[in-house]
Amino acid sequence: SEMSKDMLPGPYPRTPEERAAAAKKYNMRVEDYQPYPDDGLGYGDYPMLPNKSQYERDPWYQWDQPDMRHNWGEPMHWDFDMYIRNRVDTSPTVVPWHTMRKHFLIFFSTMLIMFGLGAIYPSYRPVGPKQYPFNDLYLEKGGDPNKKPPTVIHYEI
Amino acid sequence: MDLLLTLNTLMLLTLATLLTPIIFPMLSDNLKNTPTTITNTVKTAFLISLLPMTIFIYSGSESLISLWEWKYIMNFKIPISLKMDFYSLTFFPIALFVSWSILQFATWYMASDPHITKFFTYLLLFLIAMLILIAANNLFILFIGWEGVGIMSFLLISWWHGRAEANTAALQAVLYNRVGDVGLILCMAWLASSMNTWEIQQLTSPHQTPTLPLLGLILAATGKSAQFGLHPWLPAAMEGPTPVSALLHSSTMVVAGIFLLIRTHPLLSTNQTALTLCLCLGALSTLFAATCALTQNDIKKIIAFSTSSQLGLMMVTIGLNLPQLAFLHISTHAFFKAMLFLCSGSIIHSLNGEQDIRKMGGLQKMLPTTTSCLTIGNLALMGTPFLAGFYSKDQIIESLSTSYLNTWALVLTLLATSFTAVYTIRMTVLVQAGFVRIPPLTPMNENNPAVTSPITRLALGSITAGFFITSYILPTKTPPMTMPMPIKLTALIVTILGIAIALELSKLTQTLILTKQTHFSNFSASLGYFNPLTHRLTSTSLLAGGQNIASHLIDLSWYKLIGPEGLASSQQTASKLATTLHSGSIKAYLSSFALSILIILTSTY
Repeated sequence: SEMSKDMLPGPYPRTPEERAAAAKKYNMRVEDYQPYPDDGLGYGDYPMLPNKSQYERDPWYQWDQPDMRHNWGEPMHWDFDMYIRNRVDTSPTVVPWHTMRKHFLIFFSTMLIMFGLGAIYPSYRPVGPKQYPFNDLYLEKGGDPNKKPPTVIHYEI
Repeated sequence: MDLLLTLNTLMLLTLATLLTPIIFPMLSDNLKNTPTTITNTVKTAFLISLLPMTIFIYSGSESLISLWEWKYIMNFKIPISLKMDFYSLTFFPIALFVSWSILQFATWYMASDPHITKFFTYLLLFLIAMLILIAANNLFILFIGWEGVGIMSFLLISWWHGRAEANTAALQAVLYNRVGDVGLILCMAWLASSMNTWEIQQLTSPHQTPTLPLLGLILAATGKSAQFGLHPWLPAAMEGPTPVSALLHSSTMVVAGIFLLIRTHPLLSTNQTALTLCLCLGALSTLFAATCALTQNDIKKIIAFSTSSQLGLMMVTIGLNLPQLAFLHISTHAFFKAMLFLCSGSIIHSLNGEQDIRKMGGLQKMLPTTTSCLTIGNLALMGTPFLAGFYSKDQIIESLSTSYLNTWALVLTLLATSFTAVYTIRMTVLVQAGFVRIPPLTPMNENNPAVTSPITRLALGSITAGFFITSYILPTKTPPMTMPMPIKLTALIVTILGIAIALELSKLTQTLILTKQTHFSNFSASLGYFNPLTHRLTSTSLLAGGQNIASHLIDLSWYKLIGPEGLASSQQTASKLATTLHSGSIKAYLSSFALSILIILTSTY
């Protein structure tokens, strides 16, 4: 059978009685019930549950639906399909977020800077300028055959 | 005897043999596959593929066959063309040999699985897609093989699909590969528009190739071969069964990206920026993966990071404009990496599912064949002289040390080589040597030949493969012949330093001192914090943003702002503005008359 009209989500609750009725509809306590702010995005009276993913729920507890770690009748988050165990994980990390980000950015920027330095000072085997015979190819380069060419010696004794 | 005809026929026969277990059960009612028939099919295909390789070695004949042409539009035709050159003719027997050994091992490893035939069929489909990729002469056919291996990887990683982590890992693999595929499609689009072809033999450009398509190719290789930036899927892919890790994520699929770069190296060799990018990316990947492998405790993850590191080394070789050397490393790496995975699978199964090396020890006496082959594989990985890894790895390091290249890339690669030695020795010491840390009642044995014969066969391969390939194949580029003695011994010195460090560190752990949590150990153990930073940020923003845009913002904008409420609010603002003028004072009305007359007079001027 389909859900009756009063089980479906409704408009934003304005009076305390409406809030209590909405909390009862969503199977929550009135103290826990907190709707999304009414800023025109169309959430209505759907409760704003904390943005915690299914990873953070106890894996050993006997949930009614073990794969989703969810019990029957429990209110589901608006973005529940984002918080299943195949998607976003919001569980607390061992190392705090800003430390992780800082260390990773230090690593990455160090690598980039060192690659830049390595491009400015590349490594290569020792090389020298090329040495040409016949007085640095004087005649081939268009030198005057009648004149004496300047002697070029490529060695030292 | 027409050698070329024999070559072509035998290669097509190899592919046809592999297709028989898929086609024949569809045609007949009572013909069913079993794991043994599929293993024997792959063995037959391996034996058949040895013949074209021998023909190539002794006559140097290569061929290119074009089977059918898809006449897409008038001047752009896409043939199904297969290229039988050195790369495909050599890789076919190697891939089939490794697959045969893995399939034989999987008959024991997956024996308790109810859907074992489906598993073997998936592995066979993967193998066919991989061989299509290798033999493709056309980027279109290569893309078919590329996508095929990606999909089979997804299906095989999530083989135990009841496990949420396996599904997440498979999803990661598919998404990261997809990001790489965008690069490949970009390159294909550019090639189709500028060179009007997707054929590999027409991919030469006399001038420098523009960097954009090459960036696309490098992105494709980054995605498929798990270079830094698109690397997290490879360690996560260890959620799949060990035969999957051995076949896909060590020898065959992950080298597809590098193979693409080898095939298209005429384009790459003209553009120095692209080559330098390959070099730096490869150097960064190899060091990053080696750093992460230092603090891993899961045996499969250590071998996965080792694969990632070797893939970085192959990328470095591509960056040095030495594609043949990269291919040599692919071939030798396939042998010892697959063997390492099979040994780890044998150890895991014997210990009833234990994958943590802190709970293994002293297995040398209990599993002698497996652990000896593990040692051989580790020695080959480290580049021990005259084992398989030496021929490729040492040549790469020699070429690195004697080329004109980025200094930091050289430093990183040498550092990664020593780290390779460190984590390999750590793994060996913790798994095989020392005191026993396994549960006391473990009925482990190596009596099943389905375990020992693949491993020993691959051990033989990892000892001799490097030697055989280098003896029979001439290098296309002159290798560096003269260098000072320290440069020649660089790889060896760096490896021995790594071994010394590893032995020192293992002595530290055996004195039972708790290692302190330093920033570096945390960085290494958490894989550089890359996974949580990127996965949480991107997926939260994309998913939540998508949901908001699709459901809230579209409703808000179309039903409210553009429609009734927007109209109403603009009317309201307009009327609020207008009512300030309805003040009732004559002066305001007279001034508005004068102003309008002035405006009319000046506008007609």
